[in-house]
Amino acid sequence: MKKAFAILLVLVVACSLFAQGANEAAAPKAEPVMTHDELVAAAQAEGTLTIYSYSSRMAKIGEAFQNLYGIKVECTQLKDAEMIEKVSTEAAAGLDAADLIYCQDGSRVYPELILAGYVTTYVPEDYKALIPETYQDPLVFEFCNKLFMYNNENGASDLTNIWQLTEPQWKNKVQTKDGFQEGVNLNFFTMITRDDWAQKIADAYKALYGKDIVLDADCKNAGYQWIKGLYANVVLGKSDTTIHEQVGAAGVGDYYGLYTYNKSRNSAAKGLHTAPNTAMQPFAGFMYPVYTFITKNAKSVNAAKLFIEYASSNEGFEVYKVLGDYSPKADLVNPEDPISFSQWEQILVVEDPAWCAEARPDVEEFISRIM
Amino acid sequence: MKVSFKLRSFLKKPQNIILCIMFLFLAYLTLIPMIIMIKDTVTVHASEAMRLKKPIGSFTLNHWFKVLFDKENSWSIFYKPFINSLITSLGACLISLVVGGVYAWLITRTNIKYKKALSTLFIFPYIMPSWTLALAWFNIFKNSLVGGTPGMFASLTGIEPANWFAYGAFPIALVTGLHYAPFAYINIGGILRNMDANLEEAALMLKSTRSRIVRKITIPMVLPAILSTFLLVFSSAMSSFAVPTFLGLPVRYQVLTTQLYRTMNGSQKGQGYAMALIMIIIGVGILAFNQRMTGVRKNYTTITGKSSNIALVNLKKARSVISIIAIILVLIVSVFPLISFALESIILRPGNYSPSNFTLQFWIGTSEQNKIANSEPGILLNPGLWRALWNSIKLSVVCAFSAGTLGFLVGYAIVRARGTKLSTAVDNLAFFPYLMPAMAFSAIYLSMFSVRRGIIPSLYGSFFILVLIGTVKYMPFASRAGINSMMQLSNQIEEAGEIIGVSWWKRMTKLVVPIQKTSVISGYLLPFISCMRELSLFVLLVTPQNRVLTTLLFQYNEKGWSQFSNGINLLIVIIVIFVNTLVNKLTGASIDKGIGG
Repeated sequence: MKKAFAILLVLVVACSLFAQGANEAAAPKAEPVMTHDELVAAAQAEGTLTIYSYSSRMAKIGEAFQNLYGIKVECTQLKDAEMIEKVSTEAAAGLDAADLIYCQDGSRVYPELILAGYVTTYVPEDYKALIPETYQDPLVFEFCNKLFMYNNENGASDLTNIWQLTEPQWKNKVQTKDGFQEGVNLNFFTMITRDDWAQKIADAYKALYGKDIVLDADCKNAGYQWIKGLYANVVLGKSDTTIHEQVGAAGVGDYYGLYTYNKSRNSAAKGLHTAPNTAMQPFAGFMYPVYTFITKNAKSVNAAKLFIEYASSNEGFEVYKVLGDYSPKADLVNPEDPISFSQWEQILVVEDPAWCAEARPDVEEFISRIM
Repeated sequence: MKVSFKLRSFLKKPQNIILCIMFLFLAYLTLIPMIIMIKDTVTVHASEAMRLKKPIGSFTLNHWFKVLFDKENSWSIFYKPFINSLITSLGACLISLVVGGVYAWLITRTNIKYKKALSTLFIFPYIMPSWTLALAWFNIFKNSLVGGTPGMFASLTGIEPANWFAYGAFPIALVTGLHYAPFAYINIGGILRNMDANLEEAALMLKSTRSRIVRKITIPMVLPAILSTFLLVFSSAMSSFAVPTFLGLPVRYQVLTTQLYRTMNGSQKGQGYAMALIMIIIGVGILAFNQRMTGVRKNYTTITGKSSNIALVNLKKARSVISIIAIILVLIVSVFPLISFALESIILRPGNYSPSNFTLQFWIGTSEQNKIANSEPGILLNPGLWRALWNSIKLSVVCAFSAGTLGFLVGYAIVRARGTKLSTAVDNLAFFPYLMPAMAFSAIYLSMFSVRRGIIPSLYGSFFILVLIGTVKYMPFASRAGINSMMQLSNQIEEAGEIIGVSWWKRMTKLVVPIQKTSVISGYLLPFISCMRELSLFVLLVTPQNRVLTTLLFQYNEKGWSQFSNGINLLIVIIVIFVNTLVNKLTGASIDKGIGG
């Protein structure tokens, strides 16, 4: 009895200690419109900037930014899940840990960071005319393409339709990343179960086979049916880098992959043979957005704003100007790329965070069942 | 009057004081995270709110329903991976007990050659991160299923390894089992070495057969060590994530941790917490079984203070053959991966091992020379890396010291007060963190310590919070080692000191610790090693100033710069080996207890 009481006491004390961690109410910040020079001055007065980023290349922009403005930049690379966990916990606790974040996986970012009020979007005034409105809230820093890539050692592929990859001769000849390793892949599968894409996929089936698609009992629409067919053939990989190496190696013959296009930049150095098949119908792959936000408790708000501006300037974006990475900002074009951003938009599936946040659990369960 | 007398006599025993203090300490640091986690299994999280159409933070039983009772989904979400986890974990236990046990017996009880080398090399697989062993397996035995260049085995022999051999349950159990075999080796070897040989000699004099002695005396004596190893290996294997991811994915072999990771990384955190809780319950179940077994048989005392000489089994003609086989097998699992790390860190184009492709630029190249790797300077010239290395070492040493000391004290007190409720409670509390998924554990710590709570200031971004979580998470190593060794130490020794009025402090420092020196030291070294190569536990809690080496390792690995990541891996292994050797030279003890030496 005494012991039970003691335990209870410990719990009560401990819980009350824990419960005291309430948030201080965040005072609404006034938003004065500054000129560029004023922004620079205010940012320099703040002196430091802490960034969490999905990609290591951000650190390069950080270095250039630091050299240009003399503002010290600390850039930490985090995986999607850790990013969201860290940012939301820090924001909830009222910490000014990161000022600025660059993150992916809209289906988690949308409810867990945006709706939760932990982050805010900022679009530099001058950029508003250059970025399509759909990508301004939340602001998309860049899109990364994941395409149907194939081994082209024996010449160009003659596939034209995504349904062909579900045919028996492609069994164990298609690779993609396990969606649960990276949320954006699941978001892609979620997108194609939305009615509009499911219809396009059903139409593509008819165009290829000349008859209407018959759905299995466990497939709600043609999108699900295609995922099921693809999973029957696909070999799951852990990272885009290794998938690239496995699809593109000499001697593997006919082989397909659905993975990041920007891996092609290392093909020559690694002796790999790959090319994208942009003729695939009804889509040639997908492009996922990387969002940028200022955090709720940011101390260096002006430095963050200045960085957003700099990272999407011609000078700042230089390290992202590779095949496979695209800014939605009109003046940031890669002269070496034969396909423009707006053309990619037409042939790729684009992530809608609100839809993904709502529908992804169904797709996750579906994929778990057909695994 | 009566109560105060009881209390006074209760507090007179040092073990009770230790247990009381540790109970409070651990209740705050492990019980509260547990309670938060239980709450998380019935709470709607931000990512689930839209789906469940309930406000964030409200109560729901949906997670438990999906995991356990949903006809459509529970099989794929939980039951199938759960069965797979049981299969691979039991397989890993079997392998590590057999391999570790056989090596321990060979080294302590036979006249096998190369004892010192065998003993040192045998722990290497544990020093290396388990995923590197999985990667080595994958690179050697991969077949055409995954495309790419053929694996080393296929290209050398022309034989395609079967899918079951290359991926899935078999290699997962084998690699995990070999990785944790040093646990079995350390635990069982320690007992075999310290065991009073009089027992066996008595049996021998009574004309008992060798096999009967092993069955009736040796195995019962090492049973606590076997159970303890089983507990550690089974729980480690159950919660190991990297190996099943590498080796299971090509054939879609799902285990509980890969499933847990998927739900936690996906949009169904609540289900992940529910699964994590089930894993903890299983672990506690094994722990309870362990306590029952050791509780029923009170006497496992092997150190009685009497001198003992162990008669070594003469392997006779087989001696050379067995010695050579033993050393070759150990070299394959311990040195071969090291050579592969070294090799991978100096080749320019992956997969091409001809000397013309060798370069040291990833070690000593300047950023101008390393254009191919985004102008990253070589490992030894990278100031960020040196800072991270220093942080890692500092953190690991401090964690090892605190986890080792506290763990040993806990082990001492638990055994001395064995059978009491308080002892069992502390035993359980000290073991919980071992079973908690690192990521969930650190997320809870992040929210627990990010603001000031009562007398505890905000620890966010401090070095101390890393020390705290490392200490709590790795204390089970030390407390298990402490319990095992204390279980063998006869009470008589300490009582003798007590009778002549030697103080507790002196009894500890002059009697108990010196006798238990080897297991105390191993209680320091296991947390040290684990800390050096830990990533997921720290990644949420580090800030740029106290970044550790593994965060860099992760970054290079993500970018696919295998040269850098292999180089850092090699660096970590070398440092650990160096520390182990240093400790060995200074104290005479080492993690493998130098049981051969």
